[in-house]
Amino acid sequence: MNGNSEEIQFSWGKRRGKGGAKMDTQFYESFTLDNVQYSLYDCVYLFKHGDPEPYIGKIVKIWEQNQAKKVKILWFFFPDEIQRYFSGTVMEKEIFLASGDGIGLADINPLEAVAGKCNVLCTSKDERIRQPSPQELAMADYIFYRFFDVKHCTLSDQLPDKIVGLEVTILLNPKDEQVISNPSAVNVLPSPNVNEGLAATVPPLRSAVKEVGSSVAAVALPQPVSKEVDVNPPAAIPLSQSVVKEDQKPVTTIPFSQSVVKKEDKKSVAAIPYSRPAVKEEEKPVASTPPPRSAAVESVPKNTESQNAHAGERPPKRLKLSQEATVNTTSDVAEIRPLELPSLQADRSKWFNISWDEKLQIADDQGRLVYIQNLDIRFAAADIEELVRGALQLSCTARPINHPTYDDPNNGKAYCIFKSKNAADLAVSKINSGLVIGGRPLYSSKGLLKVPKSSGTLVGHLSVHNIKITQKQREEQKKAVSTSHCSQPNTIEYDLALDWMLLQEKQEQKFRILHKKHKDDRQGFASMGSKSVKAGK
Amino acid sequence: METSKASKDYADFLDKVKRTIYLDQLSPQVTTQVIKAALAQCANVVNVEFIVNYTIPYDIPSAALVELEDEMQAKAVVELTTDFPFIIGGMPRPVKATHAKAEMFPDRPPCPGIKKDFRWIKLGDDEFDSMNKQKILAKRQESENMALIKMQLEEEKELAKQQQEALDANCKKYDMLEVVVQNGGLRNLAHCYGVNLDD
Repeated sequence: MNGNSEEIQFSWGKRRGKGGAKMDTQFYESFTLDNVQYSLYDCVYLFKHGDPEPYIGKIVKIWEQNQAKKVKILWFFFPDEIQRYFSGTVMEKEIFLASGDGIGLADINPLEAVAGKCNVLCTSKDERIRQPSPQELAMADYIFYRFFDVKHCTLSDQLPDKIVGLEVTILLNPKDEQVISNPSAVNVLPSPNVNEGLAATVPPLRSAVKEVGSSVAAVALPQPVSKEVDVNPPAAIPLSQSVVKEDQKPVTTIPFSQSVVKKEDKKSVAAIPYSRPAVKEEEKPVASTPPPRSAAVESVPKNTESQNAHAGERPPKRLKLSQEATVNTTSDVAEIRPLELPSLQADRSKWFNISWDEKLQIADDQGRLVYIQNLDIRFAAADIEELVRGALQLSCTARPINHPTYDDPNNGKAYCIFKSKNAADLAVSKINSGLVIGGRPLYSSKGLLKVPKSSGTLVGHLSVHNIKITQKQREEQKKAVSTSHCSQPNTIEYDLALDWMLLQEKQEQKFRILHKKHKDDRQGFASMGSKSVKAGK
Repeated sequence: METSKASKDYADFLDKVKRTIYLDQLSPQVTTQVIKAALAQCANVVNVEFIVNYTIPYDIPSAALVELEDEMQAKAVVELTTDFPFIIGGMPRPVKATHAKAEMFPDRPPCPGIKKDFRWIKLGDDEFDSMNKQKILAKRQESENMALIKMQLEEEKELAKQQQEALDANCKKYDMLEVVVQNGGLRNLAHCYGVNLDD
């Protein structure tokens, strides 16, 4: 189950209903792909083989049938795609939603083609649409208020009643995320552990972090209390809604930063999805058989809202898995309190005396390695571990890895090895969703950085060619590598060496200037940011 | 108790830092022995720790943190390398030595008194926008840094190539001279021009 580090993280979210001719199709309301949560009616980027630029679409259906995960996407058009059908001005960031019937309205794609969330707002002045606030508008990636009828190839700003068979009030700008979660909460009631967890944590939860703790409490009592759930469904639902709402907010931050990142490194993003659809074709049979089990384990510590309907089907298995999860999470929780425990943990790891490099490689193979950036460079390993424990309630082994000559001292980097792949995934999504340490927003990713092997010789070590050297001289030359001397001014070598020293000085100067500029930029930014916050308040 | 031990550890560490020099531009073939022998003329080496490259995706020279016996020796080495080109193993690229800094040590003890406050920022908070912009800024600075590194490595390659060519040309010149001297061609020329060779 712990595959190679190239496997992309995936788990199902809320279930909806079953369907299909043979009742073999399971519909869903949300899923998590590569640590980003997608829900129905979210706008996403999709890449097609051969196209460098992504398409934007709205997810209108999510399902799995015969081990294949699919999404139905309602397309948006870019202005240049429909240029010939209309003349006139186009607003900044404007795109057009497909409507009507016919080719080009919507397509079914494999779920793995989704490449990130996109913030698209509907600015139509129709009364059925909730009007977005100015802040939302400023933060949106794209806006739309016009619709392109794919059958008649015409553009209109009249809001149709239904698009792709769905009411537009559901499809566009939902007032609250609760509107979507409501109907499904009723359907998927019988999942004892989750609702127990919700009942156990009535006080409003402010951050997703706390939900880890709540699900621990939940897991501890799965079976005995299951009966009570059916008795108190009304009480459970409102709680599930409120928790879902709380949960939604931090989770939605992930996709925002993801989409911002996607804009920045378009190239690197374009590279990944090329391989993804191809890779995923093969991995599908592999990836979809573990989901039932992995969803059970992952959803327990991660998302209380992934209502685990497997409860009814396989209780013994889930109990065993949840016990494992309990052990893991309780040990994490327990570490926070007494101060002696952390050192005990550290000593235990030294028993095996594996070198750090080997640990890195093993961890990367198992998907437990996380690369964190933008730390303060003065943090030591213990500081980072402490911060991770405090902020994420996860324990890890950390090590700062900045290179003293080349790395920017404004941006501290470290590798963290977590205890499990899930912990690493969780850490990445949480850090990226908005962890700020000492005024510095952190960002992280999984996996080892690719560093080329050293070539074995140093650039600048010259050799004298085309002299005939005797055997004895050759041996002396070999020994010469291990000698050293101060160059004297009466040799050719001296001039050459001075050239190098000049170059070094210049390089150091350049680095100094660049790093100082970076530091000044950052300080300027931080003060500007805080000024605008104060002005806003 | 905890903090006083931590302070003491850190104070000891700082002492070590003062005694340590950071040796850069080393050939990957250089070993601990080589460094010890090289510095033996002015300093006793206590410990050598090579820096592993985890972050730079290019072929960069080796570097090491060399712990010496005391601060005076550290100063001496740094002065030596700045005044004269000090060459270790192979020529003519000299090594660079500077005083080490605390953040160079990956195994450093935690500095007591560093603020370790963390906050969560979500979509909708006032600072969310500004934090995201800072993230973008950090990433851009990273790529600027990498671009600079790449450029510098190319400059180094250029210089090396240039020097190699000059060296080869010089070698050829000397070879030629040697041949001419040996086969008497020089004597003939001298005779032609009436130049006395023994001057």
